[in-house]
Amino acid sequence: MTNLELFLQRLTVVSSPDPDDARRRRNLNILLLGLAPLLVLSIVISLFTARSAEGQGSLIILAGSVIMLLGVIVIYLINHYWSGKFSASLFLLLLLLVIAFSDDPEQLSGGRSLFIFIIPIVMASLILQPSAAFIFAALGSIMISAFSISIGKLPNSPAILGYFLVAFVSWLSSRSLEQALGDLRSTNANLDKLVQERTKALTESLTREMIEAGRSEAILNSIADGVVVFDTNWKSTLANPAIVNLLETPFSGIVEHSIDDLLNSDRISAKDRGTLLAMLEKPGQIGESFKMEWGKKTLSVNAAQVYDSAGAQIGTVAVFRDFTREAEVERMKSAFVAMVSHELRTPLNAILGYAEMLKEAVYGPINEKQGGATDRIMTNTQHLLDLVSELLDQAQIEAGKLKIQAAPFAPTELLDAVHGVMDKIAADKQLTFTSEIDPQLPERMNGDSYRLRQILINLANNAVKFTGRGGVHIRLFRRDAAHWGISVRDTGDGIPNDEIPHIFETFRQVDGTTTRQYGGIGLGLSIVKQLVSLMQGEIAVESELGSGSTFTILFPLNNANK
Amino acid sequence: MENNLAMIIEDDVDLSNIFAEALRAAGFETEIIRDGAVAQQRLKETAPYIVILDMHLPHVDGSVLLGQIRTDPPLQKVKIVIVTADAIMGDMYREQAELTFIKPVTFTQLRDFTERMRLQK
Repeated sequence: MTNLELFLQRLTVVSSPDPDDARRRRNLNILLLGLAPLLVLSIVISLFTARSAEGQGSLIILAGSVIMLLGVIVIYLINHYWSGKFSASLFLLLLLLVIAFSDDPEQLSGGRSLFIFIIPIVMASLILQPSAAFIFAALGSIMISAFSISIGKLPNSPAILGYFLVAFVSWLSSRSLEQALGDLRSTNANLDKLVQERTKALTESLTREMIEAGRSEAILNSIADGVVVFDTNWKSTLANPAIVNLLETPFSGIVEHSIDDLLNSDRISAKDRGTLLAMLEKPGQIGESFKMEWGKKTLSVNAAQVYDSAGAQIGTVAVFRDFTREAEVERMKSAFVAMVSHELRTPLNAILGYAEMLKEAVYGPINEKQGGATDRIMTNTQHLLDLVSELLDQAQIEAGKLKIQAAPFAPTELLDAVHGVMDKIAADKQLTFTSEIDPQLPERMNGDSYRLRQILINLANNAVKFTGRGGVHIRLFRRDAAHWGISVRDTGDGIPNDEIPHIFETFRQVDGTTTRQYGGIGLGLSIVKQLVSLMQGEIAVESELGSGSTFTILFPLNNANK
Repeated sequence: MENNLAMIIEDDVDLSNIFAEALRAAGFETEIIRDGAVAQQRLKETAPYIVILDMHLPHVDGSVLLGQIRTDPPLQKVKIVIVTADAIMGDMYREQAELTFIKPVTFTQLRDFTERMRLQK
């Protein structure tokens, strides 16, 4: 728009809450604005012609024009600052007045100026309101009737009818125009509302996305794990601050670099580099995580492929964790376990051996009291050895280091070994110690015979420990095509029902009294249960107070524990 | 002359004494060696009837001695009893020995088992 158009628009537009009112007031302004130059022109012409012979008429026109111009300005101001309806009515009445003086009564009531009254009628429908056309039709009719009567004529009824017809047509067209505009406005309003809603939703989702992106970034920046994201061409596109410390490489040496650049360092061995690349290439194949040496550090690496919403791979994310301390602790723990295993057992074994030699009179006969003392030394040393063994087993199970090593073995040999240890212990308590093998059991089976022996000796020892009279019986049996089992039955005190669920817990004995009476720290059954689970077996116990307990273990037959 | 020699290859002073006493009680003549390298040399000179072998030894490991006994023709008939604190290692070499004991080993156990072996010859 040009400056002139803008100026005219500013001059005519009136702000109003009612859009119809605004439109009407604007229409009135346009009319006034159109009229003003005409009146100015009329004044100028009148000023020139006033000096001529017919100056009298020109002076009247001049005065009329000036009054009209002032009226136009006043109406414009009213229209602009106060009321559209009032100014429109004022303008139309002024127009009627001008019309009334514009010609002689004869011409106005039936001659050439008859239809000049149509102008206010049409205008009223446009600038006041559609139905106002009828008011000005009536006013016009009254005026021409008055003129007719003043010159002694009858009112011009066809002209009056004509006015009302014009008013009717104006009313119809203005009304339909206003309705059409109204419809358009409501459509626009709906559209606006829709656009607003959409805009709001879009803004909200954008804001949310920004907040989430910010949050993700904050999380990424604050976690202690080092994170690097690679695109499909193995160029790193994103990294967090933690990775800088972990890899001891400046940020600029990580982001926007290829993985080969990143790993081209003497801090990592060729073997680890190969494994790491293979893992990143196919995460999950090497295992959940992979530990590698990076300079003096031990890093644990996890990787996952990144997919977009359509399911296409867009890259790989690698997470590095500093495992140096844990690795050191693990090494120290293993070293400690191995040290204790050797350093504690060897002297205990020596004490036991010397006591036995005294007892067996290797160094000459000993008297009864000396024999009793050596017995006490042997029992207590054996206790200590068992404790050490149990603690070491427990430590190994906890560290996940206890491995089940299956190999073919003969059930008879297994029982022979158990008898070798248990016969004497049972005999010392005047208990029977018997065993049987189900003929249905294969002659050679697959399993970890060392651990099976440990389980049997543990259960048998326990049974002997808690049995005062009678004995202990071991049975190896075949349950069905896929399972074999071990049962250890005793004629001891039995276990109270409410204690049965707890007897396999670590460091547990039925009560403090039993601990003092029978010794041990309550690891035996817990270790048995853990060994049984490691062999994919199940252990259960049945017991009746006063008549004894039976421990039953079921294993898969030919279980494939490697 | 009947071979009645038991060679006890064990670096711990006390345990080697106890093992030697047990073997003596079982009726063997005994010789104690506390170093793997010395044992390696000694096995080149003489073939004992039985060897009590610890797996953790200074200078030359028990597994090396085990290999030597099982491959050297003059030592073909030597009976081996492994005595180790390491259950996993014990299982690993179980097939190559007449007997495997996981420490602790008691005097009577060793005496009774080796005596049975001596009487079976």
